[in-house]
Amino acid sequence: MPAGTAVIRGAVGASGQKINSHLAGAMVSQALGRINDSDLIRAAQRGDRVAFETLVRQYDQAVLRLALHLTGSEADAQDIYQEAFLKAYRHIGNFRFECSFYTWIYRIVTNLCLDHLRKRQTRKEDAPVITDSAGQEIDLLDRISDDRAMANPERDLMARELGAKINLALGRLTPRERMVFELKHYQGLRLRTIGEMLNTTEETAKNTLFRATQKLRNALVAMR
Amino acid sequence: MNCNWIKENLVLYIYEELADDARYEFEHHAQQCLACKREVESALDFKSALSIQPVPEIAPNLLTASRMKLQAALEETEQSQGWNRFIFDFAGWMQEIKLAPALVVALLMAGFAGGALTSYRLGMARQPQGATGQQPPVSAASIAGIDSIVQDNTSKRLVIKYNTLASQTAEGTSEDPQIQRLLVMGSSDPNHADVRKLSIDLLAARSADTEIREALINALRTDGDAVVRLNVLESLKSFVRNDVHVRDALVEAMMRDVNLGVRSKALSLLFSVRADTSVREALKVLAQQDKDDFIRSEAKRVLANTPNLD
Repeated sequence: MPAGTAVIRGAVGASGQKINSHLAGAMVSQALGRINDSDLIRAAQRGDRVAFETLVRQYDQAVLRLALHLTGSEADAQDIYQEAFLKAYRHIGNFRFECSFYTWIYRIVTNLCLDHLRKRQTRKEDAPVITDSAGQEIDLLDRISDDRAMANPERDLMARELGAKINLALGRLTPRERMVFELKHYQGLRLRTIGEMLNTTEETAKNTLFRATQKLRNALVAMR
Repeated sequence: MNCNWIKENLVLYIYEELADDARYEFEHHAQQCLACKREVESALDFKSALSIQPVPEIAPNLLTASRMKLQAALEETEQSQGWNRFIFDFAGWMQEIKLAPALVVALLMAGFAGGALTSYRLGMARQPQGATGQQPPVSAASIAGIDSIVQDNTSKRLVIKYNTLASQTAEGTSEDPQIQRLLVMGSSDPNHADVRKLSIDLLAARSADTEIREALINALRTDGDAVVRLNVLESLKSFVRNDVHVRDALVEAMMRDVNLGVRSKALSLLFSVRADTSVREALKVLAQQDKDDFIRSEAKRVLANTPNLD
């Protein structure tokens, strides 16, 4: 009998309560996922590059999405992606399972993103749009599929203007505020997880989020 | 539950970070207090407004290209582990016990003392003695350091203890990491111009490596030979767009290099990234203030061809 089935049966039998089968299925998948991750990590630590690449595939889209949204540049996002996973590969031997691999890899990525934001702040680049690897600008709002866009060009224009104002306001946050806001608002992570990734406390992450939202709200009101 | 508490926890509420009981209290108060209700609605509007710009999905081409590039890089990357399972992870232990600063200093002192002692012993073992006790002349380049100077008060004779360098040889191809490390050291050797030139020429072929690129950038900044600096510019040109360190180094060379040829080459290489804010600012300064007519006119020409992003 598969291990997953045994876990479900055990839970029902022990407490005498019925567990929602969907929730139990999700718990089993999560537990199996963690077991699989551990095996892959240990294999990667022994030098198994295929195991490491399998691990990478589980997280790399999310990493690239985060880096692209933060940097606004496909080339910069690729650089961060490359550097993050190479660092992970070089130092996976130091991973001691004290946190999830997801948190560990995101810690590397967020540090690289913070470095990028700090450099950009020094250079006063606003990167109002995303650029592809050939340096061509890609308007984010072009990617929104909206059947009504052509029927309502005025609404479309207002959306573009608001988008530009949002980008300007985001550019005024400190790198750390930008990072916390990105992870909370755009990536949907819990503040506790954000604190772990940024090597700080949940309380500090909360205060940083508070400052970031205050600044953004004030900036957007001032731009009206 | 008062309005101040609502304000303090408003952000937690809109981002669903409040515990269930706190969320219940929050909503209960907001329903009854008009001012707080308006504040909550305003905050929720703000959150919706920011969502007008969704996080774009990753284009399949970008993901595939990134994966392929990573795969190629992984083939050339060594893990700094493998033996780590069998070796005590001192750095990890230091992180855990949070004595990193003090222990790093202690390690550095121990390492430095050990290195000095080893050099001294090697120097003492190899130092030849003449029959009459006369010391053979020692080349300044082979002296690692002076340990002590003692003068006899009566005879005024000086006894100086010094350490010497022991010469070693390494063989291998330019792909060999040890050879690359030695080439990086050679590229900044202040005493041997020929070693520096040859090291940089060999490293230029491997500028895709980040550490080697940093060594080349350093050579661009510090090497006294303009031909070397021109060769370095040539080797870095492919990275102007994607490596911000290279871009910064080229801007610096364009602004400050003592050689006009190096400056104009840097300027020409920066044409492809002329839209970059820092490059544009540098070009503006050159166009207005540079003493050289050619640089001034070239800077103006590049600026005239730059789209106005402001």
